[in-house]
Amino acid sequence: MNTNILVKLKKYIPAGIVLMLLMGCERELDELKPVIFPDNPEVFIDGFSAGLNYAAFGGSLPTAFDVDTRETWNNSKASMRFDVPNAGDPEGAYAGGVFFTDASRDLSGYNALTFWAKASQSAVLDLVGFGNDLGASKYQVTISGLNVSTSWKKYIIPIPDPSKLSTERGMFFYSVGPVDGKGYSFWIDELKFEKLGTIAHPQFGILSGQNQVETAFIGVSKTIGGLTSIFNMPTGVNQEINIAPAYFEFESSNPSVASVDATGYVMVTGGPGDAAITASVGGETVDGSLTVQSQGEFQHAPDPTQPAENVISIFSNAYPNVPVNYYNGYWQPYQTTGSADFEVTGDHVLHYTDFNFVGIEFSSPTINASAMTHLHIDIFIPNILTTNARLSIEVVDFGADVSGTVTSTITPAQSQQWVSLDIPFSELSGLSARTNLAQIIFVDVNNNIANFYADNIYFYNEATTPSVPATAAPAPTHSAANVISVFSDAYTQIAGTNVNPGWGQATVTEIVQVQGNNTLRMAGLNYQGIELGSSQDVSEMQFLHLDFWTSNSTALSVYLISPGPVETGYTLTVPTSGWTSIDIPLSSFSPVDLTDVIQLKFDGNGDIYLDNIYFRKN
Amino acid sequence: MNTTVIFKRIRIPFILAALMAFFSGFERDDFQKLEERNWQETWSDDFDGPAGQLPDATKWTFDIGTGDGGWGNAELQSYTNRPENVSLDGEGNLVITAIQDGNRFTSARIKTQGLFAQQYGRFEALMKTPYGPGLWPAFWMLGENIETVGWPQCGEIDIMELRGQEPHIIHGTIHGPGYSGGNPITKSYALANNRFDVDFHLFAVEWDEDKIDFFVDDYLYQRIERSVAPGEWVYNQPFFILLNVAVGGNYVGFPTADTPFPQKMIIDYVKAYQLVD
Repeated sequence: MNTNILVKLKKYIPAGIVLMLLMGCERELDELKPVIFPDNPEVFIDGFSAGLNYAAFGGSLPTAFDVDTRETWNNSKASMRFDVPNAGDPEGAYAGGVFFTDASRDLSGYNALTFWAKASQSAVLDLVGFGNDLGASKYQVTISGLNVSTSWKKYIIPIPDPSKLSTERGMFFYSVGPVDGKGYSFWIDELKFEKLGTIAHPQFGILSGQNQVETAFIGVSKTIGGLTSIFNMPTGVNQEINIAPAYFEFESSNPSVASVDATGYVMVTGGPGDAAITASVGGETVDGSLTVQSQGEFQHAPDPTQPAENVISIFSNAYPNVPVNYYNGYWQPYQTTGSADFEVTGDHVLHYTDFNFVGIEFSSPTINASAMTHLHIDIFIPNILTTNARLSIEVVDFGADVSGTVTSTITPAQSQQWVSLDIPFSELSGLSARTNLAQIIFVDVNNNIANFYADNIYFYNEATTPSVPATAAPAPTHSAANVISVFSDAYTQIAGTNVNPGWGQATVTEIVQVQGNNTLRMAGLNYQGIELGSSQDVSEMQFLHLDFWTSNSTALSVYLISPGPVETGYTLTVPTSGWTSIDIPLSSFSPVDLTDVIQLKFDGNGDIYLDNIYFRKN
Repeated sequence: MNTTVIFKRIRIPFILAALMAFFSGFERDDFQKLEERNWQETWSDDFDGPAGQLPDATKWTFDIGTGDGGWGNAELQSYTNRPENVSLDGEGNLVITAIQDGNRFTSARIKTQGLFAQQYGRFEALMKTPYGPGLWPAFWMLGENIETVGWPQCGEIDIMELRGQEPHIIHGTIHGPGYSGGNPITKSYALANNRFDVDFHLFAVEWDEDKIDFFVDDYLYQRIERSVAPGEWVYNQPFFILLNVAVGGNYVGFPTADTPFPQKMIIDYVKAYQLVD
């Protein structure tokens, strides 16, 4: 208690009440609590405090730490000296270790770890802090990049919420590498916990203090990041510290839509509906929030339609994927993009968070996409765009060391849904070669895509199988004398033959020209008859010859019919690769009366082209 | 920097003083016994009113702009009368906010010039300071005759000044002819293990024809007697009151990249009293 409080109270509260508060000052309730753990604040004053141990980190120089009696702060008896090794020191690459106690201490009465420090040269201590107990280190706090000079100066590492440290074993730890490859020494003295009134105005945040809104689905999860903690130091300047998630109490406004655990791991469990994830430190709500707008069941990206043989896939559950080095290169120092990839009912989805730019690399081996024509990618931006987003997509070839970039505009109306991008290589100007493709790089041009999902990233050959034969059927070679022709430009046909009798079929049949050659097309086949101009005795013949072509039929049969009717079908192999010529032994059509054939019939599906339908001898 | 003093005098400031002293004893083991005085309030502003409202125009006027050479001190800020820089907070306080916009700063300076001035008495404000290198909040007074005789002949009484890089130290100062600018009469008061920007503190002077006493939370830490002034004693005419937050300048130095902005000075009330027999 101090006079400041009194002055405030004086204004509002009669003197009697003030006096009662004054009594409270003498006998505070806290003092009546049984103290289970010692509250010794001293870590290293002129030597190890009671119960303190030291352990060097694996890979560090084991002899980095020593007690020094010559260089001390304020001429005290001893200080802690740390010798940072030169780069490449075979005994250890850096100086690092933990000062911990055997038994836990109650540090809840303090609000900072303080020490005096100096170094043999101006240097930056990579990491110093407390709360590392060589175990879970649940309440770890560090300062990154602490500047130390060649003169003794006092340093302060605030405790975000002292009430958390009622049983703490991690008193101090450090991890320091050489400066420009050169080792040096630094000293720390008077290392202890204190209750300071001179650090103030703590500011805590999640998601870097931003209020984020995200569309999500049942099964989507992410860990709340961007945990920030800033204290104002006695010199009036702000100091950022890194604090463990356990200092934050996370809360969901609607656990039936999204749950959050003690580590900030958010799982969407229901919906449609909204849930706001917030956090507090020491009972005070912190800056930043995540509003999960669950759409309920996951909306999967559209199923790819390209035939697998026309695809080289980078990321898709629809195709086998080529080897990929990484889907996020975490390119430092400027990349902020993280990854929170997820899987919903077996469908893997890339999820890029805090997006500014990110690269996918598939360089071992590189991809030869010379037979491909397009890049395909499905994009889903879960936050609501208020202005157009522009996603730049760069494809890089490592062989020719060239790249091409296109920028796709995604409108606000296209946010919160899958957008399929099909980018022809011809639009990737600059990509003069694509035999050694190795990277795809995404850039948020308008800086308004907070995060996005991506799926079905593949190169493909659009040369979709044509639906019309490019060439005419092969010209028949059989002698006209040995042929009875139903449909062919090469022979005289049976007079009066009707290739499109009205049998109630759905099939649209007409004669079309392919390279000037009359060709019979049966589009949307269910069945289709052909009535011969007169009954034919083909018993002297041996084969029924057909040329047929289809890119999309999966079932096709041809029938001969004699009166009765007696009909027998023969199954043809479809789809075809170009024209198929077949000579079907007439015996296959038994028991059709070959002396009295009056009709032919086709059934099945798809679009069929036919030519050179005739009976022939051997 | 001037000497920081934890002043130890034994006097009684006014009626509540005995209780105050008892309280003070928790932090400071000395007692102040000042003679009893009977103060009668002559002027006050409690800053009651809706949030966003400018301070009462019958009590305060504004200094606007950058003055002459940064108000004579190479200060960086431009003063405005915009609510974002100076307005009530709706909870009984006036808030003066220093705002950074790139490398420019805006803030506010209000004064009672032409509306209220008083010779002798007690002047006090309950306030919480801003913080950070380059911040320079002040609660102070100027002689009403400044328009005719100029500065420093008019006299200046700085009841509270603070350098944002030392948020635990305030300074009480007078400037007069022959002892102004970098050579005033001044003393500092430091909080032990605390700072002036986390709680409200009461800053006051008690001024009569022979002396000016400086108080923090009714603790007397500096007495400047007429006899010790190295130049003319000009504190024998009415003075008016000023409140402002400056950014940068000769007194405090410049803000750094680590100075947090915006910065607020929060004033609960300002009061003036006259001694009655």
